[in-house]
Amino acid sequence: MSERISKFEKFKMQNPVIQFFKFFFLNFRILNVVAKGHGGTRDKAYKDKR
Amino acid sequence: MSKIVILGAGIAGHTAASHLRRKLGKEHEVLVVSPNSNYQWVPSNIWVGVGRMKPKEVIFPLEPLYKKKGIGYKQAKAVSFHPEGDMQENTPYVIAEYVVGENKGKQEKIIYDYLINATGPRLAFDQTEGLNPGENNMYSVCTYGHAEHAAQGLKELEDKLKNSDKKLKILIGTGHPKATCQGAAFEYILNVENELRRKGLRDKTEITWISNEYDLGDFGMDGMLLSYKGLRMKSSEMVEMVFEDRGIKWILQAGVTKVEPGKVYYETLDGEDKVEEYDFGMLIPAFAGHPFKAYDKNGEDITPKLFRGFMIVDADYSEKPYEKWTVQDWPETYQNPDYPNIYAPGIAFAPPHSISRPRMSKNGTPIFPSPPRTGMPSGITAKLVADNIIDQIKGKKSNIHKGSLGNMGAACIASAGFGLTKGSAVSITTFPIVPDYEKYSKTGGRDIRKTFGEIGLAGHWVKYALHIGFLWKAKMKPFWWLIPE
Repeated sequence: MSERISKFEKFKMQNPVIQFFKFFFLNFRILNVVAKGHGGTRDKAYKDKR
Repeated sequence: MSKIVILGAGIAGHTAASHLRRKLGKEHEVLVVSPNSNYQWVPSNIWVGVGRMKPKEVIFPLEPLYKKKGIGYKQAKAVSFHPEGDMQENTPYVIAEYVVGENKGKQEKIIYDYLINATGPRLAFDQTEGLNPGENNMYSVCTYGHAEHAAQGLKELEDKLKNSDKKLKILIGTGHPKATCQGAAFEYILNVENELRRKGLRDKTEITWISNEYDLGDFGMDGMLLSYKGLRMKSSEMVEMVFEDRGIKWILQAGVTKVEPGKVYYETLDGEDKVEEYDFGMLIPAFAGHPFKAYDKNGEDITPKLFRGFMIVDADYSEKPYEKWTVQDWPETYQNPDYPNIYAPGIAFAPPHSISRPRMSKNGTPIFPSPPRTGMPSGITAKLVADNIIDQIKGKKSNIHKGSLGNMGAACIASAGFGLTKGSAVSITTFPIVPDYEKYSKTGGRDIRKTFGEIGLAGHWVKYALHIGFLWKAKMKPFWWLIPE
């Protein structure tokens, strides 16, 4: 077992106060990925965006 | 008046039924045919599998909900498809067989105007010799029943560890050369490790990850380049960091072929046959299509027109090498090309090919992950199928709703431990699910702004919030439709 994640980093990962704010930020980032729509890939509009 | 029949009541089937019922008038019939009596929120099975949740917390009975909401329900399994009807009538139908009650074994002809095949995968434990949940100290977390059994097995292992100084081996991963759903196994190994650490038993165990992935963090999605704390790192590096930090060993490029009590046999990409010993195991089986048959109106077998393992939809199934694969190969509407009133969202559709690069061992055995299509994509594709059917019924332009996995994001909140303050998760988002190497040529086929990783307690809270939110949604409680798929 090697300490790849430092103790300070682990403290931040498990600190409820820091994580409380991160919870909202994480939800916002996830929603930005999953709730912003989806679509096809074969239409001209998609291909033109490249 | 139209009749929409939905086969299956998992995430895809139930999502489609809910939206159809909400958006269509009562003159239209929505009927769900499923052999399962309960809806289960599969992502939380991980917590059932370590004893942190009871099965009743992840399931609810379907029949009372469907009765209340005006959705028809038959507890039966589909047997055969007759998309042209038969010599007596032209109306398409399916044959379903009741699985419980006084009608058990009785077959019924169920006619439809639109058919949604959301039957998901068959858990093909039979494709790996000896891999049966509950036998040979080998468990599964694929269903709530399996997960409950796994929790009992884990408890027995913990008791053994408490009463002995012998170091015991735990083996978790994939149980077939072409298995998928690495994410579930990844969650389970981290949760098991976390449980043993919290109980002071971690030092008495050796935990090993075994997988058909070429690299760690492939997850059946060809891996990904993601942003993590302002840096760009490969998913393989992120998973390696987590495994090394937790002292988890790994075996990669391994196609498990056989399980015996305490021994797992596997072949490597190098063509070597190896054995790994274990005391407690959880290996994800292969996912296969159901053995459905299809017939035309003359009774001729037309199964290849509807199925190639899973159901044929609007994908490009032509054979081509990995280098020629594009996101355009992936389906957009999940509609069968020969029978436009049949759709297959979720896991039920036949993918055009894998997402990960296909690799053969020196002996010619394919060892690589099949494409994952679970959870969120199942919900999204089911909703768009429901919306396209609604448009057709209402006489609007058909199939305007599209959702290719090549133009769809996904979030994988991989639990790494349970608890209000002791919990943790490895949260990974990716956009798109199928990499578009042409559009995002410099960032591994993904939009790097939407492909990121995060580790910590907040991820556990997000996963728990999703558990509550999605069960609320599935139970069709007030404003359920405001929660995105």
